[in-house]
Amino acid sequence: MATLNRENKIVDSLKEKFGQNLLEIKIQKPRRIFATVLSSALKDTISFLKDNFSINHISTISGVDMGKEIGVYYHLMGNKVEGYDNEIVFSLKVTTPKSDPKLPTITTIIPGAELYEREIYDMFGVVIEGHPDPRTLVLPDGWPEDVFPLRKEWKVDDIKAKIEKVGGDGS
Amino acid sequence: MSWQVVAYDLFSVLIYPGIIFLVALALFYQWVDRRVYARAQNRYGPHHTGPRGLLQPLADLIKLLAKEDIEPSAVDKMIFRAAPILLLTLVFTALFMVPISGTSAIVSFEGDLIFLIFIMTLFAILAFLAGWGSTNRFSLVGGMRAALQTLGYEVPLAVSLIGPAILAGTLSVSNIVAWQAAEGFWSILLNPLGFGIAIIGIIAIIEVVPFDIPEAETEIVAGWQTEFSGRKLGLLRLAHDLELVFVSGLVVALFLGGPTGPIPLIPGIIWFIIKTVIIVFIIGFIRAQFARFRIDQMVSGSWKYLVPLSILQIIILQLYLMI
Amino acid sequence: MSDSTFTIPIGPQHPALKEPEHITVTIDGEYVVDVKVRLGYVHRGGEKAFEARTYTQGLYLVERICGICAMAHQLCYANNVEGLLGITPPRRADFIRTIIAELERVHSHLLWVGIAGHEIGWDTLFMYTWRDRELVLDLMELATGNRVTHATNAIGGVRRDLTPDMINQILKGMRHLEERVKYYAKAVPAERTVMKRAVGVGILKPQEAVDLCAVGPTLRASGIKRDIRKDDPYSAYDETPFDIITNDGCDVAARVLVRVGELFESLKILDYCIEHLPSGPIRVRVPINVPPAENVSIVEAPRGEDIHYGKSNGTDKPERYKVRAPTLANWASVPTMLKGGYVADLPITLAAIDPCMSCTDRIAIIDIGKRKKWVGSTDQLRRHIKKCHGK
Repeated sequence: MATLNRENKIVDSLKEKFGQNLLEIKIQKPRRIFATVLSSALKDTISFLKDNFSINHISTISGVDMGKEIGVYYHLMGNKVEGYDNEIVFSLKVTTPKSDPKLPTITTIIPGAELYEREIYDMFGVVIEGHPDPRTLVLPDGWPEDVFPLRKEWKVDDIKAKIEKVGGDGS
Repeated sequence: MSWQVVAYDLFSVLIYPGIIFLVALALFYQWVDRRVYARAQNRYGPHHTGPRGLLQPLADLIKLLAKEDIEPSAVDKMIFRAAPILLLTLVFTALFMVPISGTSAIVSFEGDLIFLIFIMTLFAILAFLAGWGSTNRFSLVGGMRAALQTLGYEVPLAVSLIGPAILAGTLSVSNIVAWQAAEGFWSILLNPLGFGIAIIGIIAIIEVVPFDIPEAETEIVAGWQTEFSGRKLGLLRLAHDLELVFVSGLVVALFLGGPTGPIPLIPGIIWFIIKTVIIVFIIGFIRAQFARFRIDQMVSGSWKYLVPLSILQIIILQLYLMI
Repeated sequence: MSDSTFTIPIGPQHPALKEPEHITVTIDGEYVVDVKVRLGYVHRGGEKAFEARTYTQGLYLVERICGICAMAHQLCYANNVEGLLGITPPRRADFIRTIIAELERVHSHLLWVGIAGHEIGWDTLFMYTWRDRELVLDLMELATGNRVTHATNAIGGVRRDLTPDMINQILKGMRHLEERVKYYAKAVPAERTVMKRAVGVGILKPQEAVDLCAVGPTLRASGIKRDIRKDDPYSAYDETPFDIITNDGCDVAARVLVRVGELFESLKILDYCIEHLPSGPIRVRVPINVPPAENVSIVEAPRGEDIHYGKSNGTDKPERYKVRAPTLANWASVPTMLKGGYVADLPITLAAIDPCMSCTDRIAIIDIGKRKKWVGSTDQLRRHIKKCHGK
């Protein structure tokens, strides 16, 4: 089995650099790291990963409804070393309270995150502060403003009832 | 004028080689074009309606004529309604000056070649007007491209068409055909460059690949024709097929000796059809071989290569005449 | 906005687009000044639907995200659930998955080459490549029983074994395909009108490609060596030798060449996998309930990386299942490619990322059970139509 040298190195330096802000970090298996940081340290962590380990690619941002909180996963990728080597998939998780979900934009560090941030707002209502183009991405125009379809409290039938009440016409 | 003369004139304008015959010929050429194009692409093309699919173009035309004619409320009604009719009229006018069954066309006068070149420009202006009158963004862009494309092909095409006229010493298409028949050779022999340029020019006139820029399907839907439907579209299609007859007939008349041939027993119309079908074949093959040019590439390429070449052709002809 | 510019809407219905999306293009004459993309016309509520389905049902839902990358999505899903369960499929299953995935890549790339030809008006290429693509589809049908939604994978292996007869047929088909691909590799760059339309069009510089997180052939055509099959090997790719095709052209022509090159590589992989196909079982039994865990699986779909995130909660249904198809990743770089170009280059530039809208859009809500769209009553639809038409 492959050694976990690179993974361990990333984990160690993150622990050293972020200390208290790093809530949890584990190497799930080769090439897979899962970490949780405080949302205040989100941007710093991503810049740190990008600058020091060339983890410069964001694959997507997934949200998970965790009851009182919304967990947001930034699936980052990169760390290809000279010659040819595998990449590491780094899933960075932050949480934000469901009552007032708010996260800073990371488009200043990785511009490619723009669409994913719009998607996370559409689906979970996480407000992305400082986003360059905060339009809806996937929901239709005329969608009720307080319906965030992937939150667990919204069941399919409820959403349907709500939309018919509002009279969304799909334009 | 006796009634026989009037009856003969009416017959030749309306039936043979006039409107009805030309429409039949146009539909036949559409079939030839579609078959050639399809075979070049490893397809069958129309093969169901009528013997070998010969009646498919007619069926398409009837279908379009029977369909609902939608007229958007925002269009400029006069231009929008007039455009298909005007276009059809123009093509017929032009066709009457092309010799089809004999060395002389239905209408001919000294200088009708210039008139034909003028009509070819009118096609593009009509396309522009139709696009403008449609008040549709795609139509507008298509119309502008049609006008812009004229800038590219008009000059080299006109110069190359003048070549045979210089040889024959006349500006009448019918006289050029008669001169070729009398001299016993086709002007393509002295005009190979001009012939090539003329083929490129007529492809641009009938707006097919690689010069279908004004109606580029994947870019601007159907270009200036976007808003037309039903009867109007049917007429536009018919006009397009007639344009094919006209341009191939004109090239045949000017470069390939028109409706005359080396074997005197075969009537002129057969020669005409054989020669024009060859032209349609060439167009169909070119259509299958190339991708569409961009408008800027088309115009600049035309001025860079076609214009100098066409002028070179004229110089060669002058030198030949001087010797 | 100055007077000389005006906007043309491309889509949701437009002949350049085979699927609905909306692009507002601001043009000045024939130049593109600004581009705004609006997605979301083919949302089917996939991610919500996963939460209401068992893992086995999800297997068949996931391949309906997209017809062309059905295998890629399903493979990614199977990898993900197997990771959640902590099992590994038998080696023979890995190889069969690789074979089907590569056949899919061949079919997808051939399809794309044809579309690219069509977008620049060369329909002949379209007809030829689609004819050859039929052969791949036939092979797929032979191997899996279906032309498009193959349903090859099961959780813990594959559903159907390859018999020696099938392998012979596939090998025979591949020899023919190789010849055809060689022909295209020779014919396409030799056709001057094609190159005139493709060289220098839709430029995406390497740094931009990395910043905007482009994926797949789009990224590799900007000279960046990133391919999930090497970077994060799954199935049989860890032992299969192949090269990553890159090109430094950064334009549409480079994207064509990368894809044509990848066709050869796919055929090479197919050869290797068929030759080294191990014997043994093709499937292991798996429990119905999945213990709480989370997993990220990535697959190199024909269009680029396809990433799935799954989170289980101990039941037979996922807590959360997230799908990000490759096209969405490439949309971010589309405005950069288009700005400053010609209107005439729009279709080919768009086509060059090989957009697959069904992949991109998968999240909005429809009541799948009743097959009724959320749009609501026909009255509402009629009202909407009236509104669109003015009076």
